Amino acid sequence: MAESRDDFIIAIRSAFLKKSTKQKFSLLTLVFFSIFIIVLSSLNFKAISVTKSVIKEIVYRSSFIVSIPENFIKSSYLNLNEYTNFYKDYKITKEELDQLKSENISTKIIKSENEELKSLIDGYTITSNKILAKVIVDHESPFLRSIIINKGSKEKIKIGTNIYDRSYLVGRVIEVNYTNSRVLLLTDLNSNIPVSITPGNVQAIVVGNGDKKGEIRYIKNDLVNKINDKGIAYTSGTGSIFKSGIPVGTVDLKDLSEKILINFYSDFTQLKYVFAEIDELIPAPAENEEKDQIEVSNTEQIKLDIISDELQILEESNTKFLEENQQLNTLTNELNKQIEILKAENNFQKNVIQQHNLDQEELEFLRLNLIYSSKCQSKKLFSTGFKVGTPEYRKCIMQKGKIGD
Amino acid sequence: MIRFQKKNLFYKIYIWLPILVLFLSVFNEFDFNYLNIDYFSFNFPFILIFYFALKAYQRFDYFLVFLAGLVNDTVVGLPLGLSSLSYILICIFATYLRNITISPNLMKDWFYFLFIISLINSINYSVLFLFFSYELDITLFIVNNFFTFLFYIIFSIFFKRYLKSLDD
Repeated sequence: MAESRDDFIIAIRSAFLKKSTKQKFSLLTLVFFSIFIIVLSSLNFKAISVTKSVIKEIVYRSSFIVSIPENFIKSSYLNLNEYTNFYKDYKITKEELDQLKSENISTKIIKSENEELKSLIDGYTITSNKILAKVIVDHESPFLRSIIINKGSKEKIKIGTNIYDRSYLVGRVIEVNYTNSRVLLLTDLNSNIPVSITPGNVQAIVVGNGDKKGEIRYIKNDLVNKINDKGIAYTSGTGSIFKSGIPVGTVDLKDLSEKILINFYSDFTQLKYVFAEIDELIPAPAENEEKDQIEVSNTEQIKLDIISDELQILEESNTKFLEENQQLNTLTNELNKQIEILKAENNFQKNVIQQHNLDQEELEFLRLNLIYSSKCQSKKLFSTGFKVGTPEYRKCIMQKGKIGD
Repeated sequence: MIRFQKKNLFYKIYIWLPILVLFLSVFNEFDFNYLNIDYFSFNFPFILIFYFALKAYQRFDYFLVFLAGLVNDTVVGLPLGLSSLSYILICIFATYLRNITISPNLMKDWFYFLFIISLINSINYSVLFLFFSYELDITLFIVNNFFTFLFYIIFSIFFKRYLKSLDD
């Protein structure tokens, strides 16, 4: 028992402390060294940050060079895949292009209006300057999703700078060195994106699932039903982490685990070049009016052109309406006249009919008078008749000589 | 069989091949992510370090392994020093196994390797989650662990051939 314990201790001691001829350090020294570096790297001293930055600069550049053969194989493999789907992709792209062209004009208008409104709200105009950056390292760790780009603090990139693939959001910068930076991709588990989902204008947070998609979390239960399959998710701008209105992806409700997933527009495994958006806040005082006018002149010109076109169309339609209105007025007057003539005719006819009726009644009275006058006239002192010409006499005649009801 | 004349430049490169491959792998990440296989990943440096720390420690400089860890941390974006610690721990466990083993057995080495990588991945996960507040998917760790364990056998065949060629 004691011997086996001794063996164990000897083996442990040998493993930790024994330094063979070719080793510069014992393993225990290296363990302490590692722990020391972990602790040191978590501290935010300037000297440590600079050292870390230098190490990263060297390692990223070296990694880029070392990766060239693997990247060549990778790109060849992807090219081969692309060629097989070339014609199919071409057709889809053509259709998309046609649709995009039609949408482009309205987007321009909305964009210029949006900029104007933002400048009114903030008192600042945000000028976005997108710079092209090359992805120098995209080795995905199975646990962390990030890329390294060849632009850093030298090009005014800061922590939080938004990164795009075309106009789609890819991620944000989480670490900046002098000539390169690390971008946390949207698929990373640590990535949280405040989004609006349309239709329905549902506010939610999209969290990367560590693989290829995002997952919608932090949403009110009663709003879940409002979300449609293929609904569009775009950044809401909440928390000022990402700018608002950037397309993120489409909703995917087909997941078997009943999670609401987001299919990102961009394929993060295929990134070669990305755009980094450098924001500069420029105050808009009256002094810089001339400068501002030049800057916004393009936008204003587009708007003016559109408005003048609209005005022309409105004037043309207005003239048409006026002409139509005049014609209709004339027609109405004519019709009114006709109505009056018809009314007069109608009245005349009514009078004629009335007169005719009266004549008929009078004729009937005269005819009956000839027959029944003897019965209705009062000739003697105690007779029951009526005096000629009175209404009672007329009534008696019309009732064919019957006196009383 | 490859044969070199000793003191030849190629022979020297050939001797340093494990370290060179280690650096290439940490700079380059042998991850095959472009194959788009879900969850598939394995840790090649773990396999290489364990095998050579166990079988050919005379030709394997631990300090360079430590440096490779620092490079890996920088490339992957992990806190600096974490991979170095993992690699050195593998070296320690491999050295311990070597010291207590009289008759080497591939199967024993294989399952001992599984125990070590599981332990080290657990340490990594705990450190990242508890001290650095990283959000991590434990499934990915488990899958990575499993594939690393599986690939050990395949790579050990190649490494054995390499060592044999050196001895010849």
